[in-house]
Amino acid sequence: MAARLAGGTALAMLGLAGLAGAAAAEPLKVGIIEPMSGPDAATGELYVTAARYGLEEINRAGGFNGEPIEILLYDNGGTAAGTVDKFKQAVADGVRVIFQGSSSAAAGQLTADVRKHNLRNPDSRLLYINDGGAALDLTGDKCHFYHFRFQAPAPMLVGPLVEAMSEAGELGTKVYSINQNYSWGRDMETAIRERAGDGGYEVVEATLHDVAKIQDFAPYVARIKAAEPDTVLTGNWSNDLLLLMKATGEAGLDVRFGTAFLDQPGNIANAGETALGHYLASTYNLAAGDEAFPEDYKARTGHYPVYLEPRVVIAARAFGKALEAVDFGGGAIDVTPIALALEGVTLETAMGPVTIRKEDHQAVMPIVVSRVEKGAPYPVDGTDMGFAPVRTIPGPEAVYPVQESCEMQRPG
Amino acid sequence: MLMEFLVVSVLNGAIYGMLLFMVSAGLTLIFGMMGVLNFAHASFYMLGAYIAYTLSALGHFWLGLLLAPVLVGLLGVLVERFLLRRVHAFGHAHELLLTFGLAFIFEELVKLFYGNFPVDYRMPEALRFTAFTVFGTDYPFYRLFIGGTAIAMFALLYLLLSRTRVGLVVRAAERLPQTAEALGHNVPLVFMGVFGTGAALAGLAGGVAGAFFPTSPNMALELGVIVFVVVVVGGLGSLEGSLLASLMIGLFSSFAVGLDWSLAGALDAVGLGGWAREMGGLMTTTLSSIAGSVPFLLMLVVLLLRPAGLMGERS
Repeated sequence: MAARLAGGTALAMLGLAGLAGAAAAEPLKVGIIEPMSGPDAATGELYVTAARYGLEEINRAGGFNGEPIEILLYDNGGTAAGTVDKFKQAVADGVRVIFQGSSSAAAGQLTADVRKHNLRNPDSRLLYINDGGAALDLTGDKCHFYHFRFQAPAPMLVGPLVEAMSEAGELGTKVYSINQNYSWGRDMETAIRERAGDGGYEVVEATLHDVAKIQDFAPYVARIKAAEPDTVLTGNWSNDLLLLMKATGEAGLDVRFGTAFLDQPGNIANAGETALGHYLASTYNLAAGDEAFPEDYKARTGHYPVYLEPRVVIAARAFGKALEAVDFGGGAIDVTPIALALEGVTLETAMGPVTIRKEDHQAVMPIVVSRVEKGAPYPVDGTDMGFAPVRTIPGPEAVYPVQESCEMQRPG
Repeated sequence: MLMEFLVVSVLNGAIYGMLLFMVSAGLTLIFGMMGVLNFAHASFYMLGAYIAYTLSALGHFWLGLLLAPVLVGLLGVLVERFLLRRVHAFGHAHELLLTFGLAFIFEELVKLFYGNFPVDYRMPEALRFTAFTVFGTDYPFYRLFIGGTAIAMFALLYLLLSRTRVGLVVRAAERLPQTAEALGHNVPLVFMGVFGTGAALAGLAGGVAGAFFPTSPNMALELGVIVFVVVVVGGLGSLEGSLLASLMIGLFSSFAVGLDWSLAGALDAVGLGGWAREMGGLMTTTLSSIAGSVPFLLMLVVLLLRPAGLMGERS
């Protein structure tokens, strides 16, 4: 009886040892924190799809540290409070890298949480890949070594937008700026004013309005009309862009729009022909090349990459490239060497090379300006309209100067 | 210039107000006649838009406008008969929670079938024309169509409630349900009818307005809050109050957009403008930048001065 017990224990211990042996290679856990419920779920879904696609690509190439990357999903409901909760849960789950992008408010919360966590837990630091938060202070006041931003903030979009529009002779000399009254909209307004000199235009009027509260934009259109602009520049997204554009079209106002979010799914279908001739500055355009990418994306996710998706894939690919340069030999994972490697990455994309600026960890990405046209390649929303690329501006030309407020503490 | 501002703002504000009335009419009716605060009301509005969209995608815009209120009304009847009636005995909190839950369920159902993004519900080309031109701005006919529908809705409801026998019974059932029952009227049936009608009105509003504003799973959320503001400002349960409140909110919002008034500007009159501008913050916030919050300010003022709302009866 005793012998049998001892034998059993030995067997059990062998089993444990075997388990320990298999678990010796530490899998890298990547958490994706996005809204998957609530009003922002539509955007969150795209972020999740694209980040998963990019991370699974790394796994198909062999994973990292001898194991496939473990992808964990967290639903923050689109709020800063939800983000705090899910961040804690992710840390408890052993997540070492976080992908997040929808909402600058959530990004601001998350980047502060990551910074504090890293100060308090130098042995289990986290890396935050921000693939969407555009607020300037994320690479300014709030910048830190473990935050990387793969998104173009306002000045990086406005510059190329006015440059391409004025080159095409469609900018005019009078610009109306209308934006949402929060950090992003204010950044846009500042950028639009700052570019006035170089762009050779005058800002005839600048309006800020409540975010996602306005149902009827007709009064705003009356204001725009009174100011007689040639072009309306706006960073509005979702309904605030769609309703503004529709109201303008219905009032028969002959202005062109320069936008940052016109490619959000549903916009073109809803606006219809009103959208024709309007401009968009973004970080990717499928028509610019690399046909294999959209086809592969469609084969795996069911649709061509749209809106923010290509950019998120770029972030994941740059991250994957950084992983290639790091080797923990199956041992414990430390994100500091990964972050250092990411700083040195040069990712070739169909738009041009993407690099990271060491001073503030802003991705130096090419910006493409497109125009809504009939018969453009990759038509959107089931219409015959799409985004025809007008001009691509290389990253180093598009990027804004490093903000003085960024004081990055480098490790070591 | 001033004339143009006045005329255009009144036009825009009045029509937006009419739209608000169209959506809130059913809510007022249900509250006034049944005492149920229906949180799912804006969801009925959304469902109406999606039903109309589905039919217009098949090429039947007008049939969509007809069926949206009918189907949503039927859904309302089912909700009343099989859900609300069961919790009625437990009081208002239960009814409120039930409709609150329904709102979530409807939203997720719509997302399930139609996806997260706005759908392509647009008015037919035949309705897409300019009604008239005012100071060089085209005024789309469809806005007038929205206004007309709202006026028709108000007239019908008003006449129905105040001039017909049906209205008499409905009002009796609300005031003194037991007496009405003793007189041989089927009070539960009356309530079912009222709830169905309220839902149908929301459905119609959705069908009409959904073609003008984007039809998306968020449309209930976007209009839900403002509709409650309308009902509270107008006085809970008062149809005329709702109309008045809708118009006020529409006009105030519309005028606020055009006015760059700020506290600093007001202080100029007493020579403190410069000091106020240095302070910045609230002092230099212009009225136009907070136009979306004007309805809530109005609600605050009304609640302070007349807690029962503009036309509400003191209870």
